[in-house]
This record gives sequence, structure tokens and C-alpha cells, in this order.
Amino acid sequence: MNVSAIKLEKNISRPDILFGVARVPGTSKAFVGGSDFKIHEIDIDAAKPESRTLQSAHETYITTLALAGDSIISGGYDGKLIWTKASSGERIREAQAHGRAVRKVAISPDRATAVSVADDMAVRFWNVADGRKIREITGEHQPLTPQGFRSMLYACAFSADGKFLATADKTGHVVVWEASTGKKAATLAVPVMYTWDPNARRHSIGGPRSVAFSPDGSLLAIGGTGKIGNIDHLEADGRVEIFRWAKGDKGEKVHDFITEGKKGLVEHLEFHPGGDILLAAGGAGEGFLSFIDLKQKKIVHQEKSPMNIHAVATADSMKSIVAVGHQRVVKFVVG
Amino acid sequence: MSSIPGSCTPSEHAASRRQFLGAAAASGITAMVSGSSALAGEVAKRGKRVILLWLAGGASQFETFDPKPGAVTGGPFRSIQTSTSGVRVSELMPRMAARLKDTCLIRSLNTKNADHGGGAELMMRGRRDEASVRYPDMGSVLARELGDSESKVPDYVSFYLQSEGQGFSGTGAGFLGARFGPMQLHKGTTPENLSRLDTISASDFADRMALRESWSRAFEKGRVSAALGSHQQAFARVGGLMESQKLFDLSNESAKTREAYGPTQFGEQALIARRLVEAGVPFVRVGRAWWDSHGQNFETHQEMVPELDHVMATLLDDLGQRGMLKDTLVITLSEFGRTPNINASLGRDHFASAWSCSLSGCGVVGGSVYGKTDDRGDKVAEGEIGAARLFATIYKALGINPQKNYHLGSRPVPLTDPGTEPVKEVLA
Repeated sequence: MNVSAIKLEKNISRPDILFGVARVPGTSKAFVGGSDFKIHEIDIDAAKPESRTLQSAHETYITTLALAGDSIISGGYDGKLIWTKASSGERIREAQAHGRAVRKVAISPDRATAVSVADDMAVRFWNVADGRKIREITGEHQPLTPQGFRSMLYACAFSADGKFLATADKTGHVVVWEASTGKKAATLAVPVMYTWDPNARRHSIGGPRSVAFSPDGSLLAIGGTGKIGNIDHLEADGRVEIFRWAKGDKGEKVHDFITEGKKGLVEHLEFHPGGDILLAAGGAGEGFLSFIDLKQKKIVHQEKSPMNIHAVATADSMKSIVAVGHQRVVKFVVG
Repeated sequence: MSSIPGSCTPSEHAASRRQFLGAAAASGITAMVSGSSALAGEVAKRGKRVILLWLAGGASQFETFDPKPGAVTGGPFRSIQTSTSGVRVSELMPRMAARLKDTCLIRSLNTKNADHGGGAELMMRGRRDEASVRYPDMGSVLARELGDSESKVPDYVSFYLQSEGQGFSGTGAGFLGARFGPMQLHKGTTPENLSRLDTISASDFADRMALRESWSRAFEKGRVSAALGSHQQAFARVGGLMESQKLFDLSNESAKTREAYGPTQFGEQALIARRLVEAGVPFVRVGRAWWDSHGQNFETHQEMVPELDHVMATLLDDLGQRGMLKDTLVITLSEFGRTPNINASLGRDHFASAWSCSLSGCGVVGGSVYGKTDDRGDKVAEGEIGAARLFATIYKALGINPQKNYHLGSRPVPLTDPGTEPVKEVLA
């Protein structure tokens, strides 16, 4: 895969800020959701892409979208999960899944289970087919930061074989769980991604926002931002730390990557199916896509995005990349 | 952030006995200001007090007192019903929502200055300085109006422990002189340089004070001088300040009370503020920096607003339970608000055209809202007021005539700009 041969193919302006995207396999359709509380269907490759608004709506911002078969599962700041039928746009069910904002929904590789993480610091497993809660994990991710302020549980992802689930909270506490039992398998820490400013401004910024397992499951990549001086702004470059997570009690950190010159949060991480390339996407005022070559142990290409990226959905072994974020949907093609 | 030319620097106001003595003596010598001491005395007897919760850096009105859920500018947080019918606040403030009965929300500030330094000066003084006149801040005015010259506690205490914005946070006694300036706490919750030296015993210290007074009285014999009187008064005040150190010591509070205010620095300072006003300090500013959320506005407010909600609600409860709220005005104020527009970093920038503050307790109509912004929060739709009217309202709520004159030489200078009317709807 020649990641340097990336080009922007579509640049679609939107009135809203988008935080979630899910693509329909084998089509050019995508579902997006964000600051207007609604789910929209867009044909990305259409000459003049127009969006169709689905029936489902949250009470406030949609933060995450995931597609499992014909079910779109959306999460929002309202703490709800809403199931919507992708083919018809019909609302199937909703659950008051969490007491605070849902930050991420991940779907198991067999499409049977959805996992949600939220600012009530709970990890909840759901049966995709009927919406039944299967399991919950509480008590591990602490509700308050060490400084006594509300924490947030930002990220989760399944391993490719579905056996493990990783979760990451604001303070940089990352846990790998056995997905079938909810038993803790490893605890990792990425403290650099969380900046607490005790003197100048006395609050915090940052935290890991994305996690991804390598295709063989041995590595866990964690994305966020670096230590920030002036926390009024996301002024640090993006940061990715990679762990051989199963080694010892705390895993072994094997790589640190800094998206030099590309400031902000890494909001999406995804390994190429071959396992040698890792895509890190995100931003602050501007957005970026950074391609990390794990054999060369360096970032081999960085691409500027027209907007700050909040979510990404790829297809065709990462040759097609759809990103959503600040008032735009864009599509890149690689190689 | 750079300091504003001509503004005070922290070191200029650091509390020390030596500086205090010099300043107090100087104000006695120059006697530049003359007000109606009879009226000030009347007001002081009424025992009115003020605690200013100063949200430095600019808190967002959308995520606090003037939510716009569903508007494109509204952000992700919902609104919740308050104890006042038809009034909603951000869901990040559930405790205040349940206790709005003592609070008036003002949602129609248009103060036109969205610069940190200029905004802080404006919102601490109620007006802009003139080329030849440096106006006193609210604390200094209230120290003069509500303070008791015989008091053994400070007249004006200001906490601002975060370093960001400290050098341009708007405090300063202006033409009132340092006698009415704040005791600034910048490094911790206990005043620096007020303790008796460990190497001097209490009895030695008392002996030294007695000896100083004896020599001073002997020196005064046959001399008539305002400066000498001021000198003695200053020493008496220093003695009082040293005695008042215990007010800053929270170990004197019950564990239950401390727990109620919470473990944060802001909570501790609010509790000290309550102790100070209870002991007779007329004005305490509790600075909580730094709200300047150009990036990640929602994460910042999700972190900081619950702390504000908790501390503010606890403070009002505590003052109410002690029977102090009817005589204590709690003001929650920033130098400006934040933009309706959400920028590409999910931040909100500086905005002074349509923003909010709150007044609780003394002299205001509780459970009320004054003013209104438009549906997007872009501009004030009803009841627009600026800093001058807000200050006139605050002074009136405390029983002080906003048009009362000080005199700079022969020039009369009213507390607020000439002709400024308080907002009657806000006043009880």
C-alpha cells in the first residue's frame, strides 16, 4: 500500500459537526451523526451528494455510530443507545444505556455484540439483535480524576478475533478485558496523554481518545495528544503509543509516535489488515491523517485534512477512507 | 498572555505588614478622597457583605446560566428545569437548579470588551479608567462603604491562586488608595507574612508592641498631625490582621462542613470566604481560573461547571443556614462570556455581547431571571445592560446609593457613571 499516493476525492460541506460515521459495506453509502442530533445517510460517491435524514434522533449530540448488519447503533450525550434499521431508516429501539454521555460504541467481529463506554465510567455489553444488556463492567474506570474532577471514558475497541476489548479513560488508564467474561486481562497507562495543570489554569485537557488492536491481537495502539503547556488550546502534536499489551502486568510499550507538526487529538486508530501500517487520524483546528509504518518504526506520510477529524470509516483494506468532523465529510483514496 | 500596560502586578499587591503600614499611612497623609462618612457608617451598621465568585478567563453562559439546547450554537449539554417555573439552566448545574430561589440570573450583559485584561478591569470596576482617573474596583469601593474603620479584620480579601490571568485580574483600589486595596492571596489560602516570627514569643511580641505604642504616644505629645494618627491606626489594623489569621485556618471547621464544600481548592476558598464574611470582612473575592476554553470547551466545562455548581450551592446553603444570606450578596461573574460559534477545536472564544452572571441573596429577587438573549444566543433580545448598570444594581442591593459622590479634590465622582440606574426588576 503506497500511502504517499493518497488523494482527496470528495469534500462535502455540512452545517453540522459530525462525530460518528458508519459505512455500508460494498456501497458508497455512509451514515453520519453529530451536532444536529440526527442520523443522516449520504451517498458519498454521488455527483452531488445529498443527505437523507433518518427518523431516529437523540436528545442532543450524537457522539458515535456503529453498523452491525442492518442495525445502526448510535450513542449520544443523552446517554442513550438507539437502534435504527439501516435499510429503512426506521427506529427499532432505544435504551437509556448510561447515566452520562456515551462516547463510543464498538461492534464485535461476529456482529453479535455491541459495547458502549460512557462518562458514567461503565462498560456495557449489548445483544445487537434484541438490545438486551449482556454484561456491565463498573468500578475499574474511576468517576473522578486524581484531582477530584469528573473523569470521562472515551474509547473502546474489540480485537480482531473478538476475544478482547480495550477501554481507555481520560486519565490515561487503559484496560484490556476478556470479552466473554469481563475479566481484566491487562492494565496499561498512557499518562502523557492527560495533562492536569495544577498551577496556571487548574483543570485538565486531553486523554486517550482511540484504541486499536493489531490484526494478530498482540499490539494495542492508543491515540491521544501529547503533554500540553497552555491547556486553553489543543496545542500539542498528536500522539500514539503502542504496547505489547499481554507482556507482564502492565504490558510493554514498544513504540511512541508523535504526529510532528500535526496538532490535536488522535481520534481514530486503525491497523491495515496486513498489520504493518497504522492509520492515525484526528486534529484540532485543522485535521490530519498520519500513516505509521511499524516495520520502519516511523510515520511515513501525513496528510492534511480539510477539517478537524472526529471519526473515520475505511473500506477496501484502507484504500478508501471516509472521515467526518467539523462541518465536513471527506473521502480519501489511497494508492 | 501578557500583562496589560498600567495594570497592577501581583507583586504590587502582595500582602505584607511593611507595605500595609506604608500604604495606610500614605492614604492618611494625602486624604485625597472625601465621601459621606455618615452614610458609609449607616451602611456598615447594616452588616452587608459580598462574596464574589470570579470565574476568570470567561465561563460559558451556554454551559451554565443561559443554555440553548437544540440551537446550532447550543453545544451538547441539555437544559434542566430549575426550582423556578419556566427557568432552565445547563444540566451541568443540578444543585443550583434545585436552589434557584435565592438567585437572580442576569442573561443580558453586553459589555463590549472581549479582552481578558480590559474585560476584567471593566467587570471589576464597572467602568473604564480615564486618562487621569484610575477607578477603584468593586471590592475597594465596598471595603470603604461597608468596612468598619475600627474593624480588626481585613476589609477586602482576594483569592487568586492560579497563575494564569493573575496579573490582569482587574483588582486595584484606584484613587481610593491602598488603604482600601485587597489583601491578595496568590500562593496559598493563608496570608503570607502575617505570622509572628517563631523566634519571638507571644509575651515578647506584646512587650514590643506596648513599647512601640508608648514611644509613639510620647512622640505625639505636642504635635498635631493626621499622619501620626494614621500611623497609629495602621499599627492597630496590623495587629488585627495578625489576629485574623485564624479565619483562614480550616482546621477550625467541622469535618462535616469541610466535606460539604468538597476537597477542591475552590471549595476550600469558598469556605474561608464564608468564615471571613461571618467575622465581618465586607468583601471577599474567590477567583477560580481558568475558563478560557478556546479548545475542548465542552470537556472543560464538563470538568469545571460541576465544581462551580457544587461550591456555589453549598455556599448558598451554608449562608442560608447561618442566617447570613439576607445580608450577604453572592455574585458569580466573569470578565466576559463565550462565543455562540463553536470553533473547529470544539472551543468557544471570547464574547462580551450577550452573556450572563448571577446575583444571590442580599437585596435581590430570588428565583428570577432578568433579560433575555435571542434563540441562538448571538445577541441580547431584552433588557440589555452593561457593566455600569450591573454595578449600580449591586450597590443598590447592598443599600448603597450608586450615585453617591466621592471627591477627587473638588471633582465629584459618583460610584457609577452619572445617570446610571440600577435594574429595578432585579432588586427586592
